[in-house]
Amino acid sequence: MKRFLAVTLGILTAFGGFVDIGDLVANAVVGSRFGMSLAWVVVVGIIGICVFAEMSGRIAAVSQRPVFDLVRERMGPRAGLVNLGASFFINVLTLAAEIGGAALALELVTGLNYLLWVPPVALVAWLVMWRVKFETMERVFGLAGLALVVFIVALWQLGPDWGELTTQLVRPPQDEGVPTYLYYAIALLGGAMTPYEVFFFSSGGVEERWTRRDLVTARANVFVGFPLGGVLSLTIAACAATVFMPVAAEPDSLGQMVLPVAQGLGKVGLGVVILGVFAATFGATLETALSSGYSLSQYFGWQWGKYVVPGRAARFHVTVLASVIVATALILTTIDPIKVTEYSLVFSAAALPLTYLPVLMIANDPDYMGEKVNGRFSNVLGSFYMVLLLVVAVAAIPLMIATKAGQ
Amino acid sequence: MIPPARLVPPALLTALLLSGCVSPAWDDHDYALKAGKTAESAASAVRFARSVVAYRDRMTGPYAEVVLTEAVHDLGSVNDQFGGVQPPSDASDRIRDEVLRLTEKAENEVEDLLIQTRRDGVKDPAAAVRDLGRLASELSDLAERHK
Repeated sequence: MKRFLAVTLGILTAFGGFVDIGDLVANAVVGSRFGMSLAWVVVVGIIGICVFAEMSGRIAAVSQRPVFDLVRERMGPRAGLVNLGASFFINVLTLAAEIGGAALALELVTGLNYLLWVPPVALVAWLVMWRVKFETMERVFGLAGLALVVFIVALWQLGPDWGELTTQLVRPPQDEGVPTYLYYAIALLGGAMTPYEVFFFSSGGVEERWTRRDLVTARANVFVGFPLGGVLSLTIAACAATVFMPVAAEPDSLGQMVLPVAQGLGKVGLGVVILGVFAATFGATLETALSSGYSLSQYFGWQWGKYVVPGRAARFHVTVLASVIVATALILTTIDPIKVTEYSLVFSAAALPLTYLPVLMIANDPDYMGEKVNGRFSNVLGSFYMVLLLVVAVAAIPLMIATKAGQ
Repeated sequence: MIPPARLVPPALLTALLLSGCVSPAWDDHDYALKAGKTAESAASAVRFARSVVAYRDRMTGPYAEVVLTEAVHDLGSVNDQFGGVQPPSDASDRIRDEVLRLTEKAENEVEDLLIQTRRDGVKDPAAAVRDLGRLASELSDLAERHK
């Protein structure tokens, strides 16, 4: 049991990457429009995030310092500031969407408009970050988010045509244009490898006081958490491909994307999936809000973290609180949380090299890593992904404009 | 003279904002394409409403209400957006009438179902499923003709 609980950091982090509010709806949209033909992107995303999260976990365990702390030191203040600006902007944008997502989940339970739930969600999230221990927080929301496994049960219960789903893997639909296909591929990759994951994961490692002896735990978190998130992501797409694609219905809301679970498993399944959605989006709220505090504090060299009493990390907690207030205000303007997150996925994709190049460089620096620098395999994979991420970063914004955000 | 590099961010932001706007119809072909897209979106919303009615006993009341409310909202916004596009010719007027007749009918039907759901539940679910299915097919056919 203790070993199982040791991987909850990886599970919680992976939910932010694969099944937060943006990914939940994006996966359902992709499944309904492209079937399983974009599944390969999720696999590419799983391998990519595993490669870089393993590096950042190793950096945290060996140096006992999180990635962002080292980015400024290794790359200099200017490059660090560009990195900070891009990731902080995406963080706050995503935080707004996650608060909205958790509020939307409560709307599905109560029928009350989600805007009424936004302030309570934000308040409770802030209280949790202020009062609850890091380890308790990651265990509660990491484990509750596992309720999303209900999608796997629902898919089995829906009895899909497995042959058809397999055929879709290699055959994109003919009526969708190539630019739209590529736009969604980039959005999925941007979601899977979203920048705050590595900052949160490495900072979480420091919060849990990982040392060299915890390298196995760090790797277990990576190789259990992220593939699990990826499998859930694929299952959501498969449910949508089974229920929505044959009737040309395209989900654009949280309520619509959980419909296959209600059809397959009834009220109990519906209750479980809404619990999972709430836990995943609330967990991602904590992840993004804390990541804002982590990145800013680590850049400026302030005391940070939940492992010290709040009074000793006052600027860190003020940053977290300010981010929550700004994000709440943004979502209370009635801007659609789903739209916010769709754009943040693409902005994430555009900022990916800024995040992952420093991770690759630091993981190769013997001054920080000693004998635990990257091996040849990690470097080959890391270099391949850097080239891929550069292409993705260049193509992301033009494709968004050309396809009117995938319309 | 403003350096070109400084013009890039505002230009990108403007392009981004414009990418989310509804553009006017340039000619009959463009208008027909918009009509097809409108019918497709409306058919999708009707199919979600149909699923809610068809699987009503497998859902909780608040959930069914939320999904039906979203369908009404989607249909309303589809009507508003397409209704706001200027048809460029008489031929386009006919397409406009055909599309709006179906989308407005869809909005009214789903709105009626929402009202019934909020009261004592849908009176005749089988008939509602049948009607919504027929309406969704008509909208899909229309979308297919104007692709």
